[in-house]
Amino acid sequence: MNERMCESLSALMDDESNELELERVLSQVSSDGELRQVWKRYNLIQQVVQGHPLTHLDWDISQRVQSALAGSKMGGREISLSGFRQRMLRPLISLGVAASVTVTVVFGGQQIAQLGSADPYRLDGPVAASSSPVGMLNSLGATAVQASYGTQAIPVLRPAIRTAYQELAQQRLRKYMQEHAEQAALNSPQGLVPYARVPQIRE
Amino acid sequence: MPVCHRYVNRSTRLPLISLKYLYRIHLVFVLSLFTAAGATAAACRDSDKLALEWLEKMSKSMRQVSYQGIVTLQRDSEMQMMQVSHSVDSDGSSSERLVELTGQGAQVERGSHPLDCIHPGDQLLRGSLLPEDRCAFAEQYRFSVTDGERVAGRKAVVIDVAPRDMYRYGYIMALDQETGLLLKVQTISHSHKVLETMQFAHLTYTDAVPELSEVDVIHEAQHPQLGSLSTRPTVARPWAIGWLPRGFAATDSPLGVDARRTYTDGLAVFSVFLEDMDIEIRPGEGVVRHGGTTTYSRGMRLAGQPVLVTVIGEVPVNTARMVADSVDWVQ
Repeated sequence: MNERMCESLSALMDDESNELELERVLSQVSSDGELRQVWKRYNLIQQVVQGHPLTHLDWDISQRVQSALAGSKMGGREISLSGFRQRMLRPLISLGVAASVTVTVVFGGQQIAQLGSADPYRLDGPVAASSSPVGMLNSLGATAVQASYGTQAIPVLRPAIRTAYQELAQQRLRKYMQEHAEQAALNSPQGLVPYARVPQIRE
Repeated sequence: MPVCHRYVNRSTRLPLISLKYLYRIHLVFVLSLFTAAGATAAACRDSDKLALEWLEKMSKSMRQVSYQGIVTLQRDSEMQMMQVSHSVDSDGSSSERLVELTGQGAQVERGSHPLDCIHPGDQLLRGSLLPEDRCAFAEQYRFSVTDGERVAGRKAVVIDVAPRDMYRYGYIMALDQETGLLLKVQTISHSHKVLETMQFAHLTYTDAVPELSEVDVIHEAQHPQLGSLSTRPTVARPWAIGWLPRGFAATDSPLGVDARRTYTDGLAVFSVFLEDMDIEIRPGEGVVRHGGTTTYSRGMRLAGQPVLVTVIGEVPVNTARMVADSVDWVQ
């Protein structure tokens, strides 16, 4: 396995590979155990970036990705961080639905369930649906995503981004709720009850 | 022992505004309060006066009456139960304790809180933040007062507190007819859905503190003191929010570079946390709601600097979003 294959894998995840490359990578992956491991790691990193399974960690984007990258050595060689790091971060920055679908169709499994059901990505009511008095909807990462089955670009929040942000909000809730409760307990008429809203009270 | 500051005392607050880069934020809420005050004279009707008297009584009894009891908190499908106690000591201070009887089983306690230390939330409820207009609170909410059923064995008066704008929730509060203590409160959304219910299941007025239950975690509630700049979270540049819903005031007096700001209108409280990121993140927003609490995180760039703004509080998501949108560096 060579660095070029790693690059191709990464490009695949970034929706930058063309069909020929896709075929080449797929045939390689199926016959190359090491490459499969790399692929798994990439997926892991992507999930970290998207914040999927790491509900118990205090997620810091830069740290998590950096440490994941630090552990990503290919064939004993350290990958050039600058270019690669940028590429691996791109899922958060620009993972397209098309790429996810490609990946899912090819590699199957977990992701298709996530992509297939609309609900996990739906922000709670008003955020997605209501118009904002300050007209913010268009500045909120709402991006035109070309649906593969249509010709119209539909402005929607990309599912990967939406999920990542929802998870991020969860983590910030765990991080900040106690500090908020401390203020709320002194400034609302419920005594110490606001502390009951803290998921895990710290000493 | 913590020292109480009269947090939103205007005579100390106004000079602070002129300090370099510190308190544009204060200007915002001072102005919003003044605006509210100017417009409220007509809003304060007799019916409001009755409700305002009850709210003032509630605010005082919460801090000045000794009681203990069992409180339930219902949020979505989850019910929590806790033991609360509050006792007033002869030295003019109060101690309170909350022990979770379900879930984590943590204990939170606050000792020796001076009775004359009145925080902005209570000042707003008591109409003492702007003494010249005790009706200011009625600009944010409209009230109706009725006799209620019993709660925790006590005869209650019910105050329906409906928001006058879309930036806060409504409440249905049941107060002890005798003491004014808040026995039950339901947080009501704009679609008239009950988001959260807090109520006493059992209540006794007593100085005695209940025996300690078995707890795993004990948290000493801080009297909010800002401490030294080196130990509290800060960001690289001073920042401020440019928009506050009407009637909200800051709960304390942070510096411009402090990472947290908290605001209250007397009933609702929300906090804003700013993080300057050392890495580019895709702009976006995420929301988590649980009961009456909204957590809204928003990634964006401020003058080229990627930041993550998180608003947590008992306000609608639209309020959180508008506040987050108004965050900016102070020039």
